[in-house]
Amino acid sequence: MTSAATPPGPSLSNQVRRALLEPVIPTDTTTSTTSDLSIDEELNLRSIGWEPVELVSAVSLQSIPYGFWNWGQGEIEVASRAHAAAFLSATTRLVREAGAAGAHGVVGVHIDRAVHPTFVEVSLVGTAVRPVDRSQRLSRGVFASDLSARDFTMLMVAGWEPLGLASGASFVFAPRRSMSSTLQQQTQNVELTNFTEAMYSARESAMQRMQEMAIDMHGAGVVDVTVHEGPMAFASHAVGFVAVGTVVRLAASAHQSIQPTAVVSLDDPTVAFDAQTLA
Amino acid sequence: MSVPPDEMPEAAQRRLQQGSFSSGLSVADFGACLDMGLEPVGLVQGFCAMHWGAYSMGVLGRGVPPFAAAQGGYVQNYQCPHNMMTAEHRSWGQNYQQGWIEDAWRTGFNNAYSRRRQEAQSLGADGVVGVVDAQNPLSDTGVVEFHLRGTAVTLRDASASSTPPNAAPSSPWSTFLAGQRLAKVFEAGYAPVTIVTSVASVRMWSYCITEFLLDGNNVPWANTTGSSEIHQVVDAQNQVRDLVRSRVRSSLHGDALLGAHLEVSAREVAKGDFEFQSRLSGNRVRRFKEFEPLGVPRATVRLS
Repeated sequence: MTSAATPPGPSLSNQVRRALLEPVIPTDTTTSTTSDLSIDEELNLRSIGWEPVELVSAVSLQSIPYGFWNWGQGEIEVASRAHAAAFLSATTRLVREAGAAGAHGVVGVHIDRAVHPTFVEVSLVGTAVRPVDRSQRLSRGVFASDLSARDFTMLMVAGWEPLGLASGASFVFAPRRSMSSTLQQQTQNVELTNFTEAMYSARESAMQRMQEMAIDMHGAGVVDVTVHEGPMAFASHAVGFVAVGTVVRLAASAHQSIQPTAVVSLDDPTVAFDAQTLA
Repeated sequence: MSVPPDEMPEAAQRRLQQGSFSSGLSVADFGACLDMGLEPVGLVQGFCAMHWGAYSMGVLGRGVPPFAAAQGGYVQNYQCPHNMMTAEHRSWGQNYQQGWIEDAWRTGFNNAYSRRRQEAQSLGADGVVGVVDAQNPLSDTGVVEFHLRGTAVTLRDASASSTPPNAAPSSPWSTFLAGQRLAKVFEAGYAPVTIVTSVASVRMWSYCITEFLLDGNNVPWANTTGSSEIHQVVDAQNQVRDLVRSRVRSSLHGDALLGAHLEVSAREVAKGDFEFQSRLSGNRVRRFKEFEPLGVPRATVRLS
């Protein structure tokens, strides 16, 4: 996405001179803002009349009783519930903190998840944002979204709005094969249907839960869904499936087409002005 | 920390006065800096090797509650609900801020920062761009090396017009940004002030409930069954983030922090003894003009 703003012109060095030679001391020292947005993201955000307010974060850990991972049948419900509770608790804290800072939402939420044998850990960090026009009232609850500020801008331009983060998780046992099946299949190249079916079962439950969260938020759908699936490293017969995304709904009367403009770059393959010195 | 001017090695003073510049900028960033009227004058660096001799309370500290209350930092106590007094049962727990760790870290960072600033001042620089900071273990004896480097720049034709005669030289501004990203910062109406970095450290001595839950022993006599939140760890994790954010925020004095990066690490020092550290860094910037609204972004599809 590019901006239709005036591109850097010959006045750049004059602006730099003005910035460095005519320092302005802030009169209000209580209005500091913090954000983990890049300057590009902040420019995108401001182009639609929003601004960053504060860097917010939240953490939750939920315990999982010992011994549930290795033997059993069907879904490991206590682990699925622990994941859901940790995610909900962390999201609730994040949104509460953003609300206390006067924000209308949180964008660019980084989600760190870790599933251990005896607990689930979810940690969230993002930037709380609000409309520059402070008279705009909050028409719905404070939202949290893992969309970048650029994607948030694109979404709003298209007439949609984020409502919150939705997550679904399911951990399922792959039933152990009988002794005879194990011996029979020892020298065969065959599909292990117990693992395939367990994966499908986990997928259905997790996706269902995520969609139910979206419906609870009165959303039309979930965008930017990321999926984490596979065997659990510490439990040989358990598989997990976790889906996370941002719930959205149409805010305008109809979808606004963004009508992308096709561009042909005349640049060399070498990227110009890539800040290599950034840490 | 106040660093005496003669602290810079004599060889470094000679090298910096030799007349050719060095820089850590890529060619692209170098070109962008020249466009902005910023001319590189030298790659400036600051080092400090800190020995971590007094890192923790040690095993003797355990069992002396409330230890951290006297330090004036964050402290939170947790009391066992079982009324059991045995050597194995952790009848109390505590989360506390390790102020001495934060002070030591600050000393190391500030020393390296001051030395890098001193080099920039000796070159007559107005600012330092593309700052990179790193902390690495220098050996296996608890020594941590703080290293800050960046490219000192001067504003073209600025010294004659901007600095009044006999005025004390001001401290050069600094930023992690360089090249086009720095140019966009200026165009957005911000002037760089300084890089900001801070740390917070919280130690957690778990009590019986935390230990049971972390081990998965959710049994009725531990007052917990099924899944439940591990409050002591959650408190420690949230506090270590809150402490570093509030410290950085209080240092901004009305300015903004751009491109913040929050890192949190956890380590288990011993059974039931955890340490959480957070580090927040970013660019402190100051608005010098009102923001001029951009047009609504236009989406493009690249055909190359």
